[in-house]
Amino acid sequence: MSTQRASTWKSLIELPENVWRSIFRNPLPSSDLGRASTSFTNFFLHLHPVKVHRHSLKGTFTLGLGLISFFLFFILVVTGILLMFYYVPSTTQAYDRMLDLRGTVAFGIFLRNMHRWAAHGMVAAVFLHMCRVFLTGSYKPPREFNWVLGVILLLVTLFMSFTGYLLPWDQLAFWAITVGTSIASYAPLVGKQVKFILLGDSTVGQEALLRFYVLHVAVLPAVLSLLVAIHFWRIRKDGGLSRPEEEDALPMENPEQLEVLRGPAMVMATSPAAAAAAAPLIPKRRYGIQGLVRGPFTKLGNVPDRSEFAWPNLFMAELVVFLITVAGVLTVSLFFNAPLEEPVNVMHPPNPAKAPWYFLGLQEQVSYSAFWGGVGIPTIEVLLLLIVPYIDRKIAGVGRWFARERLLANFLFLTFVIVNVILIIIGTFFRGPNWEFVSPW
Amino acid sequence: MKAPVKPTSDESGDAVTRRRLLSWLSGFGLFGSLIITAFSNLIFIKPRATYGQPNRFSIGKPEDFPSGARVSLDERRVCIVRDGDKIAAISTTCTHLGCIVSVSETGFSCPCHGSRYDQDGNVTGGPAPRALPWFQVSLAPNGEIEIDKDTEIEAGSYLRV
Repeated sequence: MSTQRASTWKSLIELPENVWRSIFRNPLPSSDLGRASTSFTNFFLHLHPVKVHRHSLKGTFTLGLGLISFFLFFILVVTGILLMFYYVPSTTQAYDRMLDLRGTVAFGIFLRNMHRWAAHGMVAAVFLHMCRVFLTGSYKPPREFNWVLGVILLLVTLFMSFTGYLLPWDQLAFWAITVGTSIASYAPLVGKQVKFILLGDSTVGQEALLRFYVLHVAVLPAVLSLLVAIHFWRIRKDGGLSRPEEEDALPMENPEQLEVLRGPAMVMATSPAAAAAAAPLIPKRRYGIQGLVRGPFTKLGNVPDRSEFAWPNLFMAELVVFLITVAGVLTVSLFFNAPLEEPVNVMHPPNPAKAPWYFLGLQEQVSYSAFWGGVGIPTIEVLLLLIVPYIDRKIAGVGRWFARERLLANFLFLTFVIVNVILIIIGTFFRGPNWEFVSPW
Repeated sequence: MKAPVKPTSDESGDAVTRRRLLSWLSGFGLFGSLIITAFSNLIFIKPRATYGQPNRFSIGKPEDFPSGARVSLDERRVCIVRDGDKIAAISTTCTHLGCIVSVSETGFSCPCHGSRYDQDGNVTGGPAPRALPWFQVSLAPNGEIEIDKDTEIEAGSYLRV
C-alpha cells in the first residue's frame, strides 16, 4: 500500500520532466551521437541530413537565396492568414477594407506592408535563386528535375503575386487584371476560354475578384507548398547541394566505386533496411546509417570526411538567414507603405497603367506585340528554361560560380537575365502617358 | 521428377493473360476516371450564367445625339457616332489588351500601351492588331436606339434615322 502511494507520488513529481522527455526525446546534444539523434528524431529537423557537406554551408556559394525565398513564403502565409480575418472579396467592400486596414485595424497597415513587400521580395529572391543555381551549374544531373520544379515554382510565385494585387480592388488591380487576362486571351486555341474561365464573366467584375481570391488564398498556396516540399525532398535525394568534384576527393583508382558513390540513391541510404537491401548487390561495401554512424555519406575506404553535423552548424546558419529575412521585411514595412491607388473606376484607366515592377518587362514587350510579347516569347523562354538541364548535361564546372567550363551557358543565361532587366528598367522609368518614351531626368 | 517451371507469359509479354488484361482494364478505368474528373471540374468552373452587363441594350432616342456628336459611353464601352442622319456604334475596348480607349481629336487613343486609331477605328499606330469593331445599331419599336455588342458589322455601315 505504501509502495503504491510512493510510486504515484514519484510519478507526479516527475510529471513535468516525463512530459518534456516524451516530446523531446533527446536532451540538448553534447556528443556526436546526441547531435545525430537530435536531427534524426525531431520532426522539424529531420528534413535535414544529420551531417552536411562543408561546401553547402558556405554563404558565398548559396547566398542563402533558396532559404530566403522559403522564409518569405512563410512570412506571406502568416501575414496572409491574418489579413484574411478582415478582408472581404467583394467589389463593393474590398477597397473599404483596405482603408480599414489603414485606419482602424490594429497593426493593419503594418501587416499589409509586410505582406506586400515580402511578396515583392519573394519574386526577386526566387528569381535570384534561379540565377544562383544556373551560374553555379547546379541544374546538371542528377538535379535536372529539381531545376524543372524550380522553374515551375517561379511561375507559381509570379501567378501568386498576380492574383494578389487584384484583391485591393484599386485602379492598379482592375486594369492590371484587364490587361493580364487579355494577354491570356492571345494564347492560341484556348486563349478566349482561359480568359472567360479566369474572369468567370466576359468583363472584369465581382466574379473575377472572387475567383482570384480563391486562387490566391487556397489553390495556389496549396500547389506552392506541395511543390516546395518536393523541391526540398529532392535536394536530399539528389545528394545535397551541388559541389565541385574535388570537394569529395574520392579514391580515383576504382571507377566502379566512384560510380556507386555518386549515385543519388546510395548517398542517402538512410535506414538500416535500405542499406541492407542495397548491400548484397555490391559486395565489400559499408554504408553509413544516419543516426548511428558518423556521416550520411556512403563510405568507401578512407575517404576524408568533409562534412559537419547539421546541429548546430546548419541550423544556426538557417536561423541567421531567417532573422535577416524577417528583419529586412520588418524594416522595409516600417518605412514604406504598400501602394494603394484610387478606387476602381471602370471608365478611366490610369495613364499610364503600370503593373508592379516585375511585370513591367512583360508590359514593355506587349507594347510591341501582344501575341509575341505576352504569349510567344514568354512561352519560348519558359520552355528553354525547362529544357536546359536535359540539353546541357556535361558534368564540368558544377558547384562553382562562373566556372570557366561553362562560359557559353553562363553567357547565354546572363544575356537572358540582362535583356529582361533592361526591359523592366525601360518599363519602369522610361514610359510615360500613353506608354510613350519619356526621360526620367 | 517435376517438369521445369515455364516462365509465365506475363513476364515474357507475348500472350494476353487474365492478369495482364485485368490490369490493363483497371488502368484504363482509373485513368479514364481521372480524365472525367478533370473535365467535370473544368465544366464546373466555367460559369453557365454570368451576372455582368447585358450585351444588348438601348441608349436613348436619336435626338439625344446631335449631328457631329462623338459620345463615348464608357460604362457600355461603346462610342456613339452621329453624322447627319447616320448613326453608328464603335467599340471603345482597345483590341490590344482591353483598356478603354479615349476619344481624341484624331480618333481614339489608348492610355495603356499607346495604340492609336482614326475616326473610324482603323489602327494608325501602336501595338493594336485590329481595328475597333463596329456594333449593330437598330431602332427599337419604342423609338430608342438599340446596340447589340454580340453582332459586329462592317466598318462604315451606318443606321439612317
